[in-house]
Amino acid sequence: MSEKTISVSRRRLLGATAAGGAMLAAPWAWRRAAAQEKPRELIVRAWGGVWVDSLNEGVSKPFSEMTGIAVRHDLTEDNEIRPKIWAAVDQGRVPPIHVNWDTSTNATKSALRGVTEDLGGLPNLEEMLPAARPAGFDGVPLINMYSYVYVLAYREAAFPEGAPESWDVLLDPRFKGRIALYDDGIGFHPVAQIAGGGTMAGVPGDMEPAWDFIRKVKEQQPLLGEDPDFTTWFQNGEIDVACTILSNARAARQNGIDVAWTVPKEGCKVDTDGMWIPRGLPENELHWAKEYVNFAMSQQAQQKWTSGLGLPGLRPGLTPPEDLKGDPAFPTSPEDFERLLSVPTRVLVEHESDWFQKFNEIMQG
Amino acid sequence: MASTIHDKGAGRPIGLRLLDLLEAARERLWPARMAALTPWLFLLPAVLLTGLLAAGLIPLLDASLRPLDRATFRLAEDYALGNYATLATRPVYGVIALRTLMAGLVVTAATLALAFPYAWMMVRTPHAWLRKLLLVSLFLPFFIGQVVRAYGWLIILGKQGLLNALLDGLGLPPSSLAFTYTAVLIGLVQYMLPFAVLMLAPALTAVPVEVELASASLGARPFATFRHILLPMARPGIVAAGIVVFTLTLTDFAMPEIMGGGGNDFIASAVYDAFFQLGDAGLGAALGIGLTLVGSAVVGVILAFFGLGTLGYVEGREQRS
Repeated sequence: MSEKTISVSRRRLLGATAAGGAMLAAPWAWRRAAAQEKPRELIVRAWGGVWVDSLNEGVSKPFSEMTGIAVRHDLTEDNEIRPKIWAAVDQGRVPPIHVNWDTSTNATKSALRGVTEDLGGLPNLEEMLPAARPAGFDGVPLINMYSYVYVLAYREAAFPEGAPESWDVLLDPRFKGRIALYDDGIGFHPVAQIAGGGTMAGVPGDMEPAWDFIRKVKEQQPLLGEDPDFTTWFQNGEIDVACTILSNARAARQNGIDVAWTVPKEGCKVDTDGMWIPRGLPENELHWAKEYVNFAMSQQAQQKWTSGLGLPGLRPGLTPPEDLKGDPAFPTSPEDFERLLSVPTRVLVEHESDWFQKFNEIMQG
Repeated sequence: MASTIHDKGAGRPIGLRLLDLLEAARERLWPARMAALTPWLFLLPAVLLTGLLAAGLIPLLDASLRPLDRATFRLAEDYALGNYATLATRPVYGVIALRTLMAGLVVTAATLALAFPYAWMMVRTPHAWLRKLLLVSLFLPFFIGQVVRAYGWLIILGKQGLLNALLDGLGLPPSSLAFTYTAVLIGLVQYMLPFAVLMLAPALTAVPVEVELASASLGARPFATFRHILLPMARPGIVAAGIVVFTLTLTDFAMPEIMGGGGNDFIASAVYDAFFQLGDAGLGAALGIGLTLVGSAVVGVILAFFGLGTLGYVEGREQRS
């Protein structure tokens, strides 16, 4: 081997490497800032309890170990952080958080307001199911991460004959004053529509069956609360039945509380949560916030995060947790989803506020 | 003369020299000819604070006149009365307003009824230990926040709480007070009691004990003394305490939220829901303006009916002199 030959080979090798690198980098234009200065920490808004624990174990902790960037979780309620972000963006201030873990409906409202960064081009997005991309937008202002189901949770001791088969159980006089719903009725509207004798085709045009059913439920003096309230109420023996997200029921059960869940014959509402990044972050912080969201879509993070939550991630090839295999509240196939009640996000964005008001009107009346 | 000045400066203690310096600075900043304005100067912080609060109502009013555009989730550019129309046409807001006003009245009446004898005992007792006990019992809840107290009540009133354990022990049927309107009122009365006692105590202290003794020596029974002597003379404190308790109840958020079980919202809960749950700042602002107007109107009526509270007391004293 001559000196020249070696020299040419090296040049070729370097050239090939550069070309390969450029080819790899091409679809990842956002990576141009890969050498961005690392911020001291990233602030990620999250829900408390099992929600933040799962996010921490599945995404935040490994992300910090990989990058050296600390992740702080801001547990401000999703509805409360929203006006703060909107005001910050409108006033040209740096938003209070880097990543917002949000319901897809709320995230869509922020996207419509124009306060979200475009997340198109994140490499791991290509690996996600089509449902991860929100419909009706030119870019990708938010990414849906997993599905979740509002199940009928019940205290097993109150049902010695077995799981209730219908949402009608909420009207059983035995459970007067011992049932619970979310304080805005979220997760319950489509269920009430079917239980009240209506159809999903009537959403949103003809929802009188839903309101009739909710009026009957009102007579049962339900407690109205948020995620942590349900756990407390089950624990303190205040309630026997509730409409809540599977994760809450499962976490309560894992903590030794007498709670089980079922998908009644009418079905359960299925929805999605996602992540988005507010506009107005300094360039380097925006870069690392995108890295965080990208990592949250990775196989490793999705598997651990969604397993902790007990929810099906929107990435193919995830293994369901042992205790949820075959559970209709953990849908993984199109057939599973067909048994559940889904309302398009656009319809939710347009009408959910009215439904909240109507629900409130009935419950406060 | 020069020697006197030198002596004055060198021989005087440093504290006095500092005071001289401060006096000179004051004279430069606020000359004696402006002395007539001095009382207004002291009023300035209060005026500024009130002005700031009043100024805050302007953007609130502005937002209340802009309905939400659901296509962009921004408030409309043009003014409209849509938010106020929503308040007027949706019966739920009337129900919530009525419930809040009723709570204001009930809590104020109950709190004053409980606070008056408490304050009287605290002021009149000859036993130092009893006064201390009453004071400690009064201040202890102050160190515990409203939220913690509300949860404390739930432990007592809950289905498996202390009250039901007691009833069960007595062979009585269980109560279901938790998460009811009654529970909210109980929690509010307990929360408001220290405020009322603290406002009534000075008013009762200002009533000379000799007047009560004179009343008794002239043959008045305790209730007659209470009705014809104590109540009229303590009226400024009663009115002030009543206004404070009523307005605090009217704007309370935590008690109905925690103890109401979600079905006993007050106006503050509706404001919160509009701002945060519905994302409709315009509707929330309209509710806020409505709450301010209702509160101000009710307090105005109370003042017009009962007199100007402590101000009336000073006015009366000046008239006598």
